[in-house]
Amino acid sequence: MVDIEELKSQFLNQDFDSKEFKLDPDRIVTVAKASGETRPEFTDPQHPEFQAPPAFLCSLASGRHLPIDFPSLGGIPMDGGKAVTIHKPIHAGQTVIGRTHLHDIYDKKGRSGRMILVVARMELFDTDDNHLASADSRMVIREREAS
Amino acid sequence: MSEAVINTIADVEFGAELPTFTPDTSLDTVREFANAVGWGGGGRFSDHDKARKEGLPGALVPGIMGMGFLTSTIHQWCPAAQVVHIDTVFRAPMLADEPCFIGAVVTDIDEDAGLVEIDMTLRNSADETRVFGTAQVRLPV
Repeated sequence: MVDIEELKSQFLNQDFDSKEFKLDPDRIVTVAKASGETRPEFTDPQHPEFQAPPAFLCSLASGRHLPIDFPSLGGIPMDGGKAVTIHKPIHAGQTVIGRTHLHDIYDKKGRSGRMILVVARMELFDTDDNHLASADSRMVIREREAS
Repeated sequence: MSEAVINTIADVEFGAELPTFTPDTSLDTVREFANAVGWGGGGRFSDHDKARKEGLPGALVPGIMGMGFLTSTIHQWCPAAQVVHIDTVFRAPMLADEPCFIGAVVTDIDEDAGLVEIDMTLRNSADETRVFGTAQVRLPV
């Protein structure tokens, strides 16, 4: 059985990925409208407050979710959920840097065995290093039974 | 369900249900969303046959599109609302071309801070919860 505390001490809060993004207004509009969005801040690139909706920010965090040396725990990680915290609006055309670390590791026990949940957090910054938003990806991994 | 106009936090009632809309989960719209976020390749979100070949019951609605339905509900409810935080749990897949239904209820109000908490669900036509979550929303005081 994997020692969760050991995993946490080894892997939490260390950046393992960094990416630069420039948000495309057409893609923001498509995502917003497909989601049922009607507010011009999200659907009209000419609006002075035009910005990316939370779901679009989540999509930026779709790259590498685990450090390269993270141990295999058994099954394929499943997407257990996403969360976004917005500190400042992120506008189209703005250059944004996303840095990813593991924010939490915990387990849940059920009838079918233990599930390990790993939360990867991408923190989004502008080019002046102001923290704009965070996007969490929660991966669920069914632990492989010891043979 | 509350149809009252919500402009400030003083207009919000604890336990009020937000008016909702019927999300467009048609395969064409799901495909557009998936292409826009760079997930269109492979067919999982764009092609029922390709998704079935992967062992899925059909093409899926991306979980974050479900999050989009929920934030759109909040934005329609209060035109001045700003989603500060939203956390969604993907309990089970939602399928493209199958209807889904939004539920949203106010579960906490902090009038001093101008913050409202809303519990939200996406359910399928069998009334099974596929996505649930909580949003923290800032409103004018």
